[in-house]
Amino acid sequence: MATQENVALADGVDHQVAMVMDLNKCIGCQTCTVACKSLWTEREGTEYMYWNNVETRPGKGYPRKWEEKGGGWKSEERTERQPGEIPSSEDYGEAWEFDHEGILKEGEDKKLAPEGGKPEWGPNWDEDQGAGEHPNSYYFYLPRICNHCTHPTCVEACPRSAVYKREEDGVVLVDQERCRGYRYCVEGCPYKKIYYNAVSKTSEKCVFCYPRIEGEGPDGEVHPPACADQCTTQLRMVGYLDDTEGPIYKLVEQYEVALPLHPEYQTDPNVYYIPPFAPPQHSEDGETVDVDRIPDSYLEQLFGDRVHEALDTIERERAKVERGGYSELMEILQDTNPAQQYRLEVFE
Amino acid sequence: MMGIDSKTNRSMMAFVVFAAALVLAAGVVPMLVDARPAREIPAPTVEQNLSGVDAPGWSDAPAAEVPLAAAPSGLPNAKSVSTDAVDVQAARSDGQLYLRLEWHDAQATETADDPQTFADAAAVQMPVDTSAQPAIAMGSQSNLVNVWYWSADTGTEELLAGGPGSTTLLGNQSVQTWAEHTGSGENGTWTVVFSRPVDPASDNRTAVTSDRDLDVAFGVWDGTNAERSGRKAVSQWYYLPLGPGPGGAPFESILWAVAGIAIVAVIVVTIQGVRRARAEGGA
Repeated sequence: MATQENVALADGVDHQVAMVMDLNKCIGCQTCTVACKSLWTEREGTEYMYWNNVETRPGKGYPRKWEEKGGGWKSEERTERQPGEIPSSEDYGEAWEFDHEGILKEGEDKKLAPEGGKPEWGPNWDEDQGAGEHPNSYYFYLPRICNHCTHPTCVEACPRSAVYKREEDGVVLVDQERCRGYRYCVEGCPYKKIYYNAVSKTSEKCVFCYPRIEGEGPDGEVHPPACADQCTTQLRMVGYLDDTEGPIYKLVEQYEVALPLHPEYQTDPNVYYIPPFAPPQHSEDGETVDVDRIPDSYLEQLFGDRVHEALDTIERERAKVERGGYSELMEILQDTNPAQQYRLEVFE
Repeated sequence: MMGIDSKTNRSMMAFVVFAAALVLAAGVVPMLVDARPAREIPAPTVEQNLSGVDAPGWSDAPAAEVPLAAAPSGLPNAKSVSTDAVDVQAARSDGQLYLRLEWHDAQATETADDPQTFADAAAVQMPVDTSAQPAIAMGSQSNLVNVWYWSADTGTEELLAGGPGSTTLLGNQSVQTWAEHTGSGENGTWTVVFSRPVDPASDNRTAVTSDRDLDVAFGVWDGTNAERSGRKAVSQWYYLPLGPGPGGAPFESILWAVAGIAIVAVIVVTIQGVRRARAEGGA
């Protein structure tokens, strides 16, 4: 399989596994979140963790205000890391306990609500709030997993080299035998996608479902990560960044329409997003006006200044198809062929 | 002439007093104030029980105050540490080596059950090969150290290390600890006792023998201050005088006393010689 020489991979990594999420297809159903949670984080100490979460944007995200908590590199030279902080348990949102037993079996006369007081925050607390005013309010959903960055600051932050980027596919993992729960990785990750398990006393994170992509599950077959596989609208594509015939390479490197989240953190994520489109704004009497509903400036804040060109490219290609023409880009974005959407068996 | 003689006598007396003071200062004062050379932690053999922070045997083991400072480290906020000294007692009893560490900590943090909390901890470090002093920062790959680690949250670990970030749990853990936090605020104190059999349970473990002195170093982590890993307060190398050596302080004091007496003798003889010469010259 052809490997593009000019695809920048991390030192010592043979291939880089990557994911593209088309934000135009996300309906915020959290099926990915549940798929991930039921597979990986139903153990003791992981209750508050969502290795995969879907947050409403604009919004505070999960953990709350994670973009204000530091981490990443100070500049593109990547010589110095930005100091970071560990989010509080309140920022993550405590796992709520419900008295199902009492209400359903023992007939207790109370409302089914979180035990121990009224919660004031939790994951997805600000769901669908978004921004803007009627009739021009707007929001979209942003699914997030670990970005398995090419220059991960979590790896750099660990004084024990317990966090590492594995050679065969660049998946970032925490060696549970080496980890001593110091949480410098939690501080160091600008996306706040490493979580401390207070029961095992180690930190843990999204493993890109590596047993699934290796075909190490019960059926011995290669599967995409559970979040992608279970997605209702099949908005995720999974493959290798350096597989030049695959959709990931084409969307990221060739058409440049799939962009990393917060490129200014300089970690070079390997999860990429097709930026969201929204209907244009309406006037007060309900007429459509030629103004973007989601401000470009907001998208630029999330995806950097390349977002404008990416949006233009998609619009141009879409117009081409509307005129009856052919667009490879539109074909890729609408592909429903799992062999193309999930290209995981291209390298030996 | 008489005037000159009395002046000579006075200066003679002054010399004698000065010399006597020198003897006193050199020989006796150190014995009264601090009989130990710097960086020595006495490790007497004690009859009574040492198992516990308040075990009776500890009254027979003198304490050494060991200053601590932030360990050099590239970690964030590494210079911010809370603890500036630890009182250390050492003693041997019944085939075990015991070390008792006591330090000020206003508030005990005994669990790390939240993403933002870290537990208090302490550690003792000693060379695997006691004949060569390893690098203070957890040794090196060519000169390993044993670390006896205690955390208020996770308990005791016996570790092997060959440089920063390399600690690895040893098999068949043979270190035991007792710990207690008392008081709060200015009176808050952690006391931790470490113990291990003097005979090592396996390779890569320090043998505590009477063949030679034993290098030891100490580290303290204040969990309340988010200290963990290389962000810690550490000592320089100290030693337990276990070897047959000169015995340190008393030997030195004797040397100084002998030197002092010799000085006095020389002065007295010289002065007498001068007086005799003058007397002969005068006659």
